[in-house]
Amino acid sequence: MMRPLLDVQNLTIELTTRDGVAPVIDDLSFSLNAGETLSFVGESGCGKSMTALALMGLLPANVGRISSGHILFEGADLAQASDARLRKIRGNDISMIFQEPMTSLNPVLTIGEQIAEVLRAHQGLSRKAAWEQAIALLDAVRIPNPKGRAGDYPFQMSGGQRQRAMIAMALACAPKILIADEPTTALDVTVQAQIFDLLGDLRKQTGAAIILITHDMGAVAEMAERMIVMYAGRKAELGPVDQIIDHPRHPYTKGLIECVPHIQSELSSTRHDLVEVPGIVPSLREFGKDQCLFASRCRYLTEACLAGRPKPKEFANAQSADCWHAEEL
Amino acid sequence: MSDLLNVDNLTVRFEVKRGGGWGKKSYLYAVDDISFAVKKGETLAIVGESGSGKTTAALAVARLVKAHSGSVCLGGEDVLQTQDEDLRAFRQKVQFIFQDPYSSLNPRQRAEAIVREPLDSLSNKSAAEKTQIVEGLFQAVGLRPEQQRLFPHQFSGGQRQRIGIARALATQPELIICDEPVSALDVAVQAQILNLLRKLQKDFGLTYLFISHDLGVVQHMSDSIAVMYMGRIVEHADRMSLFTAPRHPYTQALLSAVPTVDRVKRASQKRILIPGDPPDPVNLPKGCRFANRCLVAQELCHRQEPALMSDDNGHRTACHLVS
Repeated sequence: MMRPLLDVQNLTIELTTRDGVAPVIDDLSFSLNAGETLSFVGESGCGKSMTALALMGLLPANVGRISSGHILFEGADLAQASDARLRKIRGNDISMIFQEPMTSLNPVLTIGEQIAEVLRAHQGLSRKAAWEQAIALLDAVRIPNPKGRAGDYPFQMSGGQRQRAMIAMALACAPKILIADEPTTALDVTVQAQIFDLLGDLRKQTGAAIILITHDMGAVAEMAERMIVMYAGRKAELGPVDQIIDHPRHPYTKGLIECVPHIQSELSSTRHDLVEVPGIVPSLREFGKDQCLFASRCRYLTEACLAGRPKPKEFANAQSADCWHAEEL
Repeated sequence: MSDLLNVDNLTVRFEVKRGGGWGKKSYLYAVDDISFAVKKGETLAIVGESGSGKTTAALAVARLVKAHSGSVCLGGEDVLQTQDEDLRAFRQKVQFIFQDPYSSLNPRQRAEAIVREPLDSLSNKSAAEKTQIVEGLFQAVGLRPEQQRLFPHQFSGGQRQRIGIARALATQPELIICDEPVSALDVAVQAQILNLLRKLQKDFGLTYLFISHDLGVVQHMSDSIAVMYMGRIVEHADRMSLFTAPRHPYTQALLSAVPTVDRVKRASQKRILIPGDPPDPVNLPKGCRFANRCLVAQELCHRQEPALMSDDNGHRTACHLVS
């Protein structure tokens, strides 16, 4: 078997808060193959974005740190890498697009300058060559009249165009992994469709693997081949997207799929109540306890759930669920 | 059922500082000549993307922004003609649930005071009666009695939205305008609030004007749907017709753009990608406002703006190509 592009083993990230140290990522293992799209799903505060920041070596200084585990990228461990090495990898091999394109672009530099800066820093292009390459990238992300628009400032663009510009910047050095952290949450649904279409095409052209972070199961179903459902810093479920949607093995996954009113192909005139997942995500103080952290919201709760942290149970096609009752679901 | 709310030719415009030259004002028509009715006890959803005018329309109906022209009749009375001092009766009948439960509650008031405030300012009830009503409201929205004494920051997002709902219910309104009531909430919490809104509607016979950009939520919540684009209603139909047989090219694109877990829908339906961005709202094109992005636009569409025409079943569409 081919070696995965990214292999994360038993990653634990600790966050120092006023109440003490909490494991915001608790013993997480997964791999990412070249060219595949993997999606992280879960509510806010479950550790999706924290995982992305750890991969980029961008954990908040003095607050978050990798306390154990390995992030193997092409065989080398990023968890141990020096700042200089990480700086080389960021933008070059792994790059990221963020949720809010307005706040993640520099408002006082033109779009063209910001893209060209990446190329000059990482690939040592000359000013002129970098500028021309920036225009080509804007064209690749389907911004009309790229030559003219490269001189625009972020405020002169619409939300969708800004997100395209962000994608152009992230793709500037042809990275092997593109991390997209809720890339369309701030955008309208027709613009979201444009961005997803663009990401899908770019993936085909460049062969980059995509890590898509989202809370929208619909987006996962459209975009990704495999997904990881996160809950309270831990993996709840992992596996092929279609298989999990057809038969989730973790009550949290099941809840996430059922609680959202999805547009249906067959509409009936009677409407049922939505399935509720009662309660909310536990506070950081609860993280790391030796029990199932979803127990307080779960309708399958038994004594076993409070007695120890569930072990992953394996199913066909490498689907696995961390739940004591996974087989019964 | 009879109509509770009748909106006719409502227009809201804002003055903008742009172009024009000396003495010439330009206007942005956020809501441009829209008409719709809401039946008593039903839910009308207004959907559209940002900038379509859906929130402005809702605010104008509640008289929270000034309408330029048109009429808004609640139970036969035109509220746009009501003098400011006579608005108290209207405010009792129409209440608002806001999008952001973090900024729409006063952080320095206790939950109980927030819910009681509409009663204080709009009703003549005694203190004892008010206390009793507030207690009942907390129970109705699923909050515990002891939580009345807490401040907003001690609640989760979903609980805060419950407080906002209790406040809206306080004066026993006939119409509640819900402006994106769940879009600021986590996915798993949204279901709790949507179920609550539907239960309250059944229990109290409420009428909702439901503003949302989330078509899944709208499909679940509403009886009829008006789709807005650039200040105009482009399509308006009952839930079944709009979702199973959308007619306007914009509605079709909008519905096909929603990502779904439904594999049948994904396989059977090709996604319609509409290119480009909406036009400049201050200098609108002459013809159909959607024409520059429409995949089936004809020469006529760029020349003449289509009117919103109704078929025999009351399915209204503003498109030259739908007859």
